[in-house]
Amino acid sequence: MITNASLQAIEGQPGSFVARVHQEPRYIDEDKCTACGTCTMYCPRPVADFYNERLDVTRAPHIDYAQAIPASYYIDAKACLRVNYETCNLCAQTCTAQAIDFSQKPRDLELEVGAVVLAPGFGRVDNEVLARFGYGRYPDVVTSLEFERLTCASGPTEGHILRPSDQTRPRRIAFLQCVGSRDETCGNGFCSSVCCMYAVKEASVAKEHEPDLDISLFFMDVRTQGKGFDAARKRAQEKYGLRIIRARVPNVDQVDGRLLLTWVTDDGKSHTELFDMVVLSVGLSAPEDARAIAEASGIELNHYNFCKTTHDAPLATTRDGIYVAGAFQGPKDIPESVTQASGVAALASELLAETRGTRSVTVTYPEEDTSLLEEEPRVGVFVCHCGVNIAGVVDVKAVRDYAGTLPGVVLYEDTLYSCSQDALKSIAEKIKENRLNRVVIAACSPRTHEPLFQETLRSIGVNPALFEMANIRDQCAWVHSQEPEAATEKAKDLVRMAVAKARLLEPLAQPTVDVIPKAIVLGGGASGMTAALSIADQGYQTVLVERSDRLGGNLRDLKWTLDGRDAGKILKDLTDRVNSHTGVEVLLGTEFKGMSGYVGNFTSSLEKGGQTELVNHGVLVVATGGRPYLPKSYGYGKSKRVITQLELESRLSKGKNPLRNVRSIVMIQCVGSRGDDMSYCSRLCCSQAVKNALKIKEFKPDVRVYILYRDMRTYGFSEDLYREARKKGVIFLRYTPDRKPEVIRQTRGIKVRVYDRLIGDEIEVPASWVVLSVGIAPAENEETARLIKAPLTQDGFFLEAHAKLRPVEVAVDGVYLCGLAHGPKSLEESISQAKAAAAKATIPLAKGKVAVAPIVSRVDKSLCIGCGICENLCPFNAIRLVKEGKRRKAETITASCKGCGICASHCPALAISMGGFTDSEIMAQIHAFSQRECEERRES
Amino acid sequence: MKKTGAIMVLGGGVSGVQTALDLADLGYYVYLVEKKAYIGGFMAQLDKTFPTNDCAI
Amino acid sequence: MTQKGFDPRILGFFCHWCCYAAADSAGVSRYQYPPNVRVIRVMCTGRIDVRFILEAFKCGSDGVFTGG
Repeated sequence: MITNASLQAIEGQPGSFVARVHQEPRYIDEDKCTACGTCTMYCPRPVADFYNERLDVTRAPHIDYAQAIPASYYIDAKACLRVNYETCNLCAQTCTAQAIDFSQKPRDLELEVGAVVLAPGFGRVDNEVLARFGYGRYPDVVTSLEFERLTCASGPTEGHILRPSDQTRPRRIAFLQCVGSRDETCGNGFCSSVCCMYAVKEASVAKEHEPDLDISLFFMDVRTQGKGFDAARKRAQEKYGLRIIRARVPNVDQVDGRLLLTWVTDDGKSHTELFDMVVLSVGLSAPEDARAIAEASGIELNHYNFCKTTHDAPLATTRDGIYVAGAFQGPKDIPESVTQASGVAALASELLAETRGTRSVTVTYPEEDTSLLEEEPRVGVFVCHCGVNIAGVVDVKAVRDYAGTLPGVVLYEDTLYSCSQDALKSIAEKIKENRLNRVVIAACSPRTHEPLFQETLRSIGVNPALFEMANIRDQCAWVHSQEPEAATEKAKDLVRMAVAKARLLEPLAQPTVDVIPKAIVLGGGASGMTAALSIADQGYQTVLVERSDRLGGNLRDLKWTLDGRDAGKILKDLTDRVNSHTGVEVLLGTEFKGMSGYVGNFTSSLEKGGQTELVNHGVLVVATGGRPYLPKSYGYGKSKRVITQLELESRLSKGKNPLRNVRSIVMIQCVGSRGDDMSYCSRLCCSQAVKNALKIKEFKPDVRVYILYRDMRTYGFSEDLYREARKKGVIFLRYTPDRKPEVIRQTRGIKVRVYDRLIGDEIEVPASWVVLSVGIAPAENEETARLIKAPLTQDGFFLEAHAKLRPVEVAVDGVYLCGLAHGPKSLEESISQAKAAAAKATIPLAKGKVAVAPIVSRVDKSLCIGCGICENLCPFNAIRLVKEGKRRKAETITASCKGCGICASHCPALAISMGGFTDSEIMAQIHAFSQRECEERRES
Repeated sequence: MKKTGAIMVLGGGVSGVQTALDLADLGYYVYLVEKKAYIGGFMAQLDKTFPTNDCAI
Repeated sequence: MTQKGFDPRILGFFCHWCCYAAADSAGVSRYQYPPNVRVIRVMCTGRIDVRFILEAFKCGSDGVFTGG
């Protein structure tokens, strides 16, 4: 990890580049800094807290936020007196860890790399643009990011929403959307794709903090097209009573300390209202240093200064071996960024497959000293001061001496910072010297530091399970800082409980499971083919299973991509590569009939023409696709004049003059979507409609094209198509679901009746063709989902393991997801996602082994009565009954077990124990908790 | 030409960090280069995320 | 700290993933609360056997807090 660094140049060829990087000093040694905060306390130099959007003040040496990584402070060189004037030096004198080092100099590094991934994110919109809305002039006009900090409990106002001007609570708040987005005058003609969502989120959070708030949101279109987003937006709107106004507010005025907004709605009426606070939903710009990055890396940018890519290769830059992910590729939200991030890892991994493992660092450990455990428990207790964090409240020396009185304790010491490198070294030496076989560290939280200390144990041949922590910082000193005596007592209790448990700790093996180096991909559409090729290119055999008798899926019906590329050529390239790749085995006309096993060791049955074949594989990618919704309304199927967008594409691609005798075309959006049949938004129909409208205008400019829509959701760079369509004379009319357009068939031709909001009356539009923008329906996913035990969403798509952080993984380990099976999306997005699924699926294959945390359950078969309660209760299918002789016995599937312990707590025979959390260990803690009381009772 | 099994990831936001983690898991050495003093990017400044209102940190 | 002279001893079973994590962040935020709880960390509240709770009461706990 190289922080404070910028890219200077990339030289060389794909596979062997040299990247030149310039790094500025932090002036604080990351390895020594203990993040105690003393330097910030003593520094006389206040600086604006940029992390809190300058709403707060910090000092030159600081850490942005408590959880920041690296977990080390740094010195803001611009503000520091020592760096600039060679005076002060207070921080260096007060730092007990001696981490402050003003001798650090800027460095120039040369990194030898095979590939480069650009993920510099997005930039901010110019303050000049924000100033048009009174930002900077009126203090109560804030940006969405500032508002985010105001609603945050650890933010400058501790989560209270206060007006910056007078620190009073606002009653009425307005959110203005599309600030710095969809606005050519500021150079950002695109849609930032995330602001509609975050505005709804911020408004909801604000209402949760202050239920009496009156919140209005000003949208041009409500663009909540993400998976499950429309439903979430609707719920928020209803639950919190958010007022949605469709208008763009041109400017903000201040009147008597309040903010005056004026707007015009699409019925032509003008409105004026006063608000207490205005939040600007600021869009995402290209990174400020986009030009510098492009020059240093030799790639091209698009006309908005984002990275230039194409829809069939969304993660590739214009230079081979250099890839792009995240918002630099185009504005996008977190799930899509995370998806692209994994996808781009696949690309680099394809390029460098032959070098896998050559540069990765493997750690080796000495063999465990089993003779240690032949002895009685020899517990060592180390009580940490954590600088003043613990020692400032808890009497550390008293706790240490108390530990010495506990049974089994042979060594008790206190350390200044247990986690510092030198302390770890000293702890390791003392463990060896004293032949300790159980170690207790009373310090901070095991959630953050247990792995570090366990690593120390492993490094000297002690099983890491012989370790226990007492949390006397986060859950003691920090929360009882006003009651030092009570805190010290609590610390003693926690140490006593930890020692009681530690005495019973047993070494646990770190189980690993071998992985079968083969993948199965279900579905031979664009996503499935992309995923299969990527896994094969990364060096692993892949079986591509397609139910129908040809590859291509929905891509077969698509004629042009949104960026105007020939979809047929993309299809041909993909199928040719799949068919000729030695690493991909294509099984057409094959049904997936079932899967057993667990990650690394699956067995699937595949049926072809009545024959069933069993295939062993390590991972599974689900790319079973979706299908176009079959409309029941608007006279579809009754007239050749009523067609779908895909049918329109097919007509447009045939013959020399496909629009002969066509004078007027009416497109109707949201057919099937956002309605009764499918409650969700199908995401791509708006862009598709605009794309086809432009195609029509290209063939025959005098055809009148109408698009009847609810919200135009041409997010990202598709906004350009929308704007171009308007410029070329395409007429857009908004309708509401309670007043849907009507298609009226006449003896000659057809007409569409629609309510025109500006006129305030219904109009009738003659139409040569009516084109329905039908949504994307889920395929028959229920059966596949049942076979792999994966959950579906309410809408019938596969549910990802985590909407933001694990967007291509399924709750079942070893099963990955991409394409329309996950939800509606464009070809570009499907390809990114397929690459991401391929990267994730390749991880277990590349590792060759799956490690299992030793906290898993174990069944004592001699006690098991085979009742099956555990099997029924296990939420992860990680325990099963097997026949042993004539009896049924439970057995843990170690690779699937998450260690929750539901089985153990419900076993009537007490036959199940949990690694590191056995009954006797927990009972020992309970007894130690109330040791005095218990002893008294026993005596009486 | 001999290829190098290392990759530079420029940017330590949610995308860069995810790429770095995946590449490391895939068996490559990763240099994560960040222009600021900390990784995390804009996401670290978010309080909660849409639509589940999960904590962003 | 105690209003009526009652100073209960409470045993807490905290889920590693949520409640224990929340208790940590309470510390990070320096929230203050009465020092009456002693915590046993479990990987999930599903681990809590009724016997644990009964044993806690038997051993003189005035209250048991399960958080998950």
